[in-house]
Amino acid sequence: MADDKDVLRDVWFGRIPTCFTLYQDEITEREAEPFYLLLPRMSYLTLVTDKVKKHFLKVMKAEDIEEMWFDFEGTSLKWHYPIGLLFDLHASNTALPWSITVHFKNFPERDLLHCPSNSVIEAHFMSSIKEADALKHKSQVINDMQKKDHKQLWMGLQNDKFDQFWAMNRKLMEYPTEEGGFRYIPFRIYLTMSDRPFIQKLFRPISPDGHTHTLGDLLKEVYPVAIPNDDESKRYQVVIHGIEPLLETPLQWLSEHLSHPDNFLHISVIPVPSD
Amino acid sequence: MAGRPTPGCLSDLEMESEEPTEVEMSSCFLDEETFCQCCQLLLQHSHSLCDGWSWEQVKGSEGYLRKTALGTGRTRCILDQQGNSSDQHQERTFSLSFHNDEDDEDDGAVCCIQEESSSSSVVQYEYHILYSCSYQTPVLYFRASTLEGRSLCLEEVWDSVHPNYRQRLQHRPWDTITQQEHPLLGQSFFVLHPCRTEEFMMPVLKAALEEHRQVNYIVTWLSVVGPVVGLDVPLSYCTQVPEPPHTPSSSPQPPSSSPQPPSSSPQPPSSSPQPPSSSPQPPSSSPQPPSSSPQPPSSSPQPPALGTKPG
Repeated sequence: MADDKDVLRDVWFGRIPTCFTLYQDEITEREAEPFYLLLPRMSYLTLVTDKVKKHFLKVMKAEDIEEMWFDFEGTSLKWHYPIGLLFDLHASNTALPWSITVHFKNFPERDLLHCPSNSVIEAHFMSSIKEADALKHKSQVINDMQKKDHKQLWMGLQNDKFDQFWAMNRKLMEYPTEEGGFRYIPFRIYLTMSDRPFIQKLFRPISPDGHTHTLGDLLKEVYPVAIPNDDESKRYQVVIHGIEPLLETPLQWLSEHLSHPDNFLHISVIPVPSD
Repeated sequence: MAGRPTPGCLSDLEMESEEPTEVEMSSCFLDEETFCQCCQLLLQHSHSLCDGWSWEQVKGSEGYLRKTALGTGRTRCILDQQGNSSDQHQERTFSLSFHNDEDDEDDGAVCCIQEESSSSSVVQYEYHILYSCSYQTPVLYFRASTLEGRSLCLEEVWDSVHPNYRQRLQHRPWDTITQQEHPLLGQSFFVLHPCRTEEFMMPVLKAALEEHRQVNYIVTWLSVVGPVVGLDVPLSYCTQVPEPPHTPSSSPQPPSSSPQPPSSSPQPPSSSPQPPSSSPQPPSSSPQPPSSSPQPPSSSPQPPALGTKPG
């Protein structure tokens, strides 16, 4: 299992080099330089961009500052999605560094959630973990944990502490041996070509007759468009943490090793680049 | 599924000392098909009352109930130097939270600037009822805006909750209202957290089961959560809307074929609700919910005059 532990580390320590540029219509006292940062794939934008805020506040007046928000090529970025998911979904096939535009005005009320403090991020993160455990274990594991255990999960994420996080998270990855896997797999499939933000359905990792379900089985069931027919060329990439796992990969394994810290498998289905 | 009761979230129910039957355990959860059927029945009654509910469906995805309504709420407005107010709303969160992120305990407390007053005003509400497959319950999403089209912030929504319900929201963190992304539309909505639904539904459904009464899950659920966020549910819903036809199998095991979610039937095994039945059930007394939630209205079932097939 040594290889599998390495996967957990690789997922945790994934980074995306990013360039933050101030939106041109923001009012500044002098020219704003772009700001470069390595963003952790597994975290959230509003949790890791304090430095970005401080950098741009140096050239702006306090009265011109409202809640900070980000866009990429005109699409506002949802801070409550993990950073790695945002990148895979919107910028997979563009050149690095990822170029994000920073705004301090005209917050898009309809489209973005407000994030006035870190406790909102914590509440959102814990809510995802609880929902994932409702699917995996009927909430038994998360409910058996104490409040300090929940706190440890959050602090591990916030402070980028792999060991602290996984000391608790491993409990959420256990299952009764006789079951062969979780009750249902927590996953979301994100689409760029649809009004609907994601697909989420009940799906078991093991069929009633003991057959192990794969990533391909999941897609065939909930989003068959993603899988080409034999005679067609591939039109879509199915991306998790920046890679395209083989469709034969067991879903249970993916859930245990390639989930985000919120215990969800966030899967992007994006069109194959045309060039 | 013998042994412990099916857990939802932090369960402090009296139920823990009992051994619930399989039907009871599955009855506080709602499968998606029954959700749709309950909604269609609610919809039919809504049409007869012109109560404004509609069924919406985003292409290729699940459907949901939707309703808009005008109500009152407490909104912020900015006072200028003369003390005149205008309905504008600026956010100054980051000049305040800039220095002390780690210690910041307030959720949304720094949402509005200081020179403001809060007043009662007309608010446009939009309510959606969706199905959560993770919790196997319905979920109430809503958004609110002033008549000028400005979205209310979380603080204003909190202030608009009737004082009778505010204590409940404060003391039980999982009844709280938060801002979430609408799973079908991708837009910002406010949500009442669903994970405690089982806690108030279970006693009601159990009582109905014991007393052989019909209960439409959605109507009962809505009559508890709706008023908290300004949504009125006229009493006739509880007397006029039947439950969907009950399927005999109450086992929560998955079917033997391809991976489908288990179709557990949450309905108590009442006598046949087929139209037009000629033997009405005897009226019964209202169920006793846990003392901290408001009483759900009693339902005296009648022979269903409406078709029970979903629309």
